Amino acid sequence: VGCKKMLDQPVQGAYEADKFFNSDVNANLAVNDAYPALLFTDGGSNAIWVLGDVASDDAVKGGLPGDQADFDNVDNFNILPSNSAVEAVWRRYYDGIFKCNVALSGVPDVNTMVSDSVKKSVTGQAKFLRAYYYFLLTSCYGNIPLHLKVETVEETQQPAAPQADVYAQIEADLTDASGKLPLAWDAANNGRPTKGAALALLAKVYLFEQKWQQASSTAQSVRDLNIYSLTNLFTDNFNQNKKLNTEAVFSVWHQTASSQSFLGNNLNQWFAPRGSLNGYGFFNPTQSLVDNFEKTTGGVVDPRLDYTIARFGHPYYDVDYDSSWSTTGYMSKKQIQPLSEIPATIKGDGNLNYEAIRFSDVLLIQAEALNEQGLGAQALAPLNMVRKRARESYLYDNTLPDFGTVPDGLLPDVVVTDQGQLRDIIRKERRSELALEFHRYFDVIRYGSAYANSALSDKPAFNYDQDKFFPIPQSERDTNKKL
Amino acid sequence: QNTERMPVTGVITGPDNAPLAGATVTVKGTTIATSSNASGVYTIRANSSDILVFTFVGYERLERAVGNNTILNISLAAAGNTNLDQVVVVGYTSQRKRDITGAVSVINNKDVANIPVGGVDQILQGKAAGVSVTQSTGAPGGPIAMRIRGVGTINNNDPLYIIDGIPTKDGINEISPNDIESISVLKDAASAAIYGARASNGVIIITTRKGKSGRPRVNINSYVGVQKPADLIKMANTQQYITAYNNAAIADSATNKRTLIPTGMIDTLPDVNWLKEVLKPALITNSQIAVSGGNETSTYIVSANYFKQDGLIMNSGFERVNLRTALTTKISKIFSMGTNVNFSYGNTRQVGSSGDGFGAGNPGPSVVRYALFRTPATPVYNSNGDYVDLPTHPEWFGDGLNPVGLAANTDRNFYTYSLLGDVYVEAAILKNLKLKTDFGMNFINTDYKQFFPTWGVDRHINSPNSLAQSTAKDFNYNWTNTLTYNTTFSEKHNLTVLLGTEAIQDRINQMSASRTNYTDQSSQFQYLDNGLGRITNGGNQDNWALFSLFGRVNYDYDGRYFATFNARRDGSSRLAEDNRYGNFFSGSVAWRIDKEKFMDNQDIFSLLKLRAGVGQNGNQEISNHAYVSVIGADAFYPFNGTATQGYSITQKGNPNVKWETSTQTDIGLDMGFLKNRLNVTVDYFVKNTSNMLIPYPTPPSSGGAGNPYVNAGKVQNQGVEVEASYNTDFGKDWHMQLSGNVAFLHNKVVSLADGQPIAAGRIDNNIFATLTAQGHPIGAFYLLQTDGIFQNDLDVFTHAYQGQNIKPGDVKFKDISGSEGKPDGVIDDNDRTFVGNPIPKVTYGFTANFQYKAFDLSIFFQGVSGNKIYNQVLTDIEGFYRPFNITERMYSNAWHGEGTSNEFPRLSWEGATNNKRPSTRFLEDGSYLRLKNVQLGYNFKGSWMGKISLSSMRVYVSAQNLFTITKYTGLDPEMYISDNGAGDGVKAVGIDWGTYPAARTFSFGINANF
Repeated sequence: VGCKKMLDQPVQGAYEADKFFNSDVNANLAVNDAYPALLFTDGGSNAIWVLGDVASDDAVKGGLPGDQADFDNVDNFNILPSNSAVEAVWRRYYDGIFKCNVALSGVPDVNTMVSDSVKKSVTGQAKFLRAYYYFLLTSCYGNIPLHLKVETVEETQQPAAPQADVYAQIEADLTDASGKLPLAWDAANNGRPTKGAALALLAKVYLFEQKWQQASSTAQSVRDLNIYSLTNLFTDNFNQNKKLNTEAVFSVWHQTASSQSFLGNNLNQWFAPRGSLNGYGFFNPTQSLVDNFEKTTGGVVDPRLDYTIARFGHPYYDVDYDSSWSTTGYMSKKQIQPLSEIPATIKGDGNLNYEAIRFSDVLLIQAEALNEQGLGAQALAPLNMVRKRARESYLYDNTLPDFGTVPDGLLPDVVVTDQGQLRDIIRKERRSELALEFHRYFDVIRYGSAYANSALSDKPAFNYDQDKFFPIPQSERDTNKKL
Repeated sequence: QNTERMPVTGVITGPDNAPLAGATVTVKGTTIATSSNASGVYTIRANSSDILVFTFVGYERLERAVGNNTILNISLAAAGNTNLDQVVVVGYTSQRKRDITGAVSVINNKDVANIPVGGVDQILQGKAAGVSVTQSTGAPGGPIAMRIRGVGTINNNDPLYIIDGIPTKDGINEISPNDIESISVLKDAASAAIYGARASNGVIIITTRKGKSGRPRVNINSYVGVQKPADLIKMANTQQYITAYNNAAIADSATNKRTLIPTGMIDTLPDVNWLKEVLKPALITNSQIAVSGGNETSTYIVSANYFKQDGLIMNSGFERVNLRTALTTKISKIFSMGTNVNFSYGNTRQVGSSGDGFGAGNPGPSVVRYALFRTPATPVYNSNGDYVDLPTHPEWFGDGLNPVGLAANTDRNFYTYSLLGDVYVEAAILKNLKLKTDFGMNFINTDYKQFFPTWGVDRHINSPNSLAQSTAKDFNYNWTNTLTYNTTFSEKHNLTVLLGTEAIQDRINQMSASRTNYTDQSSQFQYLDNGLGRITNGGNQDNWALFSLFGRVNYDYDGRYFATFNARRDGSSRLAEDNRYGNFFSGSVAWRIDKEKFMDNQDIFSLLKLRAGVGQNGNQEISNHAYVSVIGADAFYPFNGTATQGYSITQKGNPNVKWETSTQTDIGLDMGFLKNRLNVTVDYFVKNTSNMLIPYPTPPSSGGAGNPYVNAGKVQNQGVEVEASYNTDFGKDWHMQLSGNVAFLHNKVVSLADGQPIAAGRIDNNIFATLTAQGHPIGAFYLLQTDGIFQNDLDVFTHAYQGQNIKPGDVKFKDISGSEGKPDGVIDDNDRTFVGNPIPKVTYGFTANFQYKAFDLSIFFQGVSGNKIYNQVLTDIEGFYRPFNITERMYSNAWHGEGTSNEFPRLSWEGATNNKRPSTRFLEDGSYLRLKNVQLGYNFKGSWMGKISLSSMRVYVSAQNLFTITKYTGLDPEMYISDNGAGDGVKAVGIDWGTYPAARTFSFGINANF
């Protein structure tokens, strides 16, 4: 007996998994852990910016030649399954899904130690996040394994499910989440998804599935919540002091100089110029993206160009722009903060949120979905809301030249209702509005092979059928025999 | 016949003519005995027909007939492996070497004396067949890989150490090599099975020095040496680098616009040899003083030792202080007791030196790697005397760190305080029955402290600055009880029975804390209180326990037939209740053929002993709670800007995990020739590990928590070991002793969980150099195979497709396979294949000792053969993918037109993606033969010594690592595991990220006895 007792040495400071979910507090702790996969605390391990934008016609890798060579390989479509960006995105978001499944495993109906209200909240959050991660994953990789619970060793082997099944699961999770999530959280919980976020993501998923009617009606239901609107200043979406603006539907939060753990936005360093600004110089926008921004016949350019892209002759926040910074001549301004906010000494500890879903995205989803249903006239309203906000920067941004009046012919309301013409206009608008927010490549692919081949015509190795999705990573192939 | 015993007297000396105090003299066949005094003088009563037996631990037993002598001066030879009467500690008891039935190697203090190394494990290198000892790197105080009979498992392969009865997996560095009396290595299962659950990797039993009865003896032992870097890699100089850069820029100009480095600039640029800048001569010193003595009932020894080894790289080093006391006393006829206490303090200073700073627990970016990378065209210091950080033109001269600045700004310390000791009581209850109870404790406190200063002129390295500290307390106790009974019946039957129990419990407590933002970086303010920024802290505890019952029977008949049987039952807290206990059995037999009648008329063999044994051992070196999934504190997320804790499954468990078991069969032959002047031992063994505990490689899509252990997988090691020694005297003044050992080893993974291979040894993001797979050795290299260099366009055109932009001068790879399992005309990951492994096929050591009058010379060679090393850092300094420096041979030999090279590709960045693919291009033969130690000593003699109570004095000069014969082009073929591979264990050894090279050491020492 004595030796039996001696041999009982229970784990200290942690729970055996089946004994953890014994209180509301613990259930909440579990769902909290489903969030960190969202963070951009390291520019290399959350490489969605590489797959979303560097692969597209909007940006190149930048930085020093040879540095992060695999990101260049994505740009050039010389993509092996062991490519580090391809591996990183897979690993990161599937880990997020695992954390969601752990949280969900602890709040079944039979568990009476967690209150119903907390079960509802935890379920809503975990399902939203799981859907968000699966949506990114299926956008990147197409047919992928579905993991929906805490698995035994044997169950970790899962075949790749057809994309339709993945979408069905995402729809189910988001539908459930939208019924369980609140319209808004109390202040301390800002950053958790809301009902609006679930509906907005659902609208986007429908759009990707080309379920046009559901996409437009779900986008409308987001609008009908009457809590979102476009900010007067476009740049409020990229401003550390405006994290809680009316346009932020779902944000990935970051915090500079966090009191515990490192929680800063590391892209501030990855995307900043090398040299005295202490950046790495990655993520250089292309001429093609610059050219996408409309210009008036008088030469006045869409103000979003200079909000999005740094270029010669225009200030780069608090310093002058230096053309030698970039291989394309341009640098990204999104995810970047001025030195007055984040000094060079703590460059990698940025304070900007990443706006995963903005209300302008919802409006453009609705416009596109309506137009695809042949309802071009109805599509104009949400489209023109986005354009109006952009041109009216001249009414709100006192740093613009001739501030106070909108220059003649700048971003006029669209009146075209021809489906084909309007489709091109909406796509162009979407590219300008959401540029360098890591969405472009998925749009390019979604628009189909003709569009993609034309957009990526300067990448000779690009082959639509082969590159529509990135390869499932080597590490998964090596370990998952059911693939 | 003269039956009256008369006094016989004489002086007993050792081979160095120094008197031996405390040597035992007995009249054979009687109980008459005495011992020599401090001057080595003995007096005993004997008659002319008596035979005197002279014995002294560590020396050859000697018998001399008295005859008509009244004075018999005796010189005892030092014991070597040849000493068959030597008593060997074999696990809870000791045995005469000649009676041992298992495979046991013995190393005596004398074999390893005065080798200038810090650790007990290091001195075993090359000394015993089948015991492979490799420094992870040459960094002082760094870990040592000790492998007995190969790598038996993908888990922990460290042997179990028993230090004076105290079992420990990690206490080996707490003691000083100078305190060692002898070391027994239990290699086969038959010997080690008495240690059961923790013995599958073999057992190393260390016996420390004890006092001997007699007048107090004072021993002083000291050396001082200087270490120098040796065999550095030749790198390109500034002129060569710029030429190479510009040639490549011109060659690549069509696809890749790079501006040329203006050649006029060369005159303004420095030419720095970075390896020489970071590797500087350093001191090594050791001082030991020991006082010992005793009387008939008690003995004592007190010793103090100070060892200090500065590293070749600034801010690295190791120092240790040891204080030790051992007492034994006979309380009464029945009871005796003893104690042995060792206190040590150690300080290891580390700089990152063998990785790329990737991975947890890594000391950070490597000084050595940057010293290789950094182009010679950037100065060490700027005009202000600050370390130059980013080169003026990083696009030309790279953006790696300044290695000298990096070393200077590294302040990483581990302070270890340890107490290792035991108390035992032995009761001779009956004449043949002994009870022993032994209570031991091992307490190790490790404090870590590292300050990360902000430095760099333009890059703000370590910004904000920070201080990290942690403390770990590992407390372990063991309580062992044994009952030993031995008897002889019918004269020829000898029987020993041992029964025992053992309880071991271990507790580790840890605390850690850090703060950032120190306004004053000076050491005076490097305390947690002074950080103004982020505050973090943590703490945890973990426990485990082991309870065991064991027994052994030794039987021999007439000194001719021997049999040993062991049984042990272990219970471990690390397994779920149903699987907690494991039973381990072993048996072995031996036959002294030379004692048979039919051998009487031969004079070839003076000893011929055949041994055979089979047995099982366990391995429980997995995490403490592998049987259950664990939910604990994980990551933070800033809800509304406030860091908020999350909990999740951090480690996946498997309720079914059970013991990993190794079954070993050993057949051995001990042979003595020429009256045992020549001794040869040969062993053949097969060691099968089954139910290997494997962290099941779950797909990344199932989440990132630690993989669960499953029992699946078999590994086989088989090998042959030979040890030989030869002693001879020629002439009056010459003595020679030669000894050598060699082991041949073959390692193979027989099966794995679901046949699933395990990739390890990350060499780039998601690229791994090794694959542990069925049918191949553990951690075998799995790479593309090169097939020379493309010489012309036709060559490129006709060869399998390797990707875009392949040009003449690029590396050609073999089309081994494809997605359909056969060559498919495309080079991709399917063409990787097994191309060798890091486990040496042969390991060997050779020692020659010569004595001429007062001089002695010892020469010790050691080497390995048949292993491969993946020279990862070569991918950086010959891969030519970023503006890093290149080797001089790459500069001179790079392909520059058809027929110019079939080994080194063209200098081209556009070609680098292809040319630096992980392949056999960077895989090299790791064989080496190293002159590990040469030592020349002189023993003083003369009457003047007696006047100052000096009984002996030896001075010596010694050289360590004087030369190395190897084809390996890296800094040091004697490398085992890099900082990057540490987490992968034996699955990722032999990957050289630029290793901390072993130093060439010249030292001078003195050893005096008073």
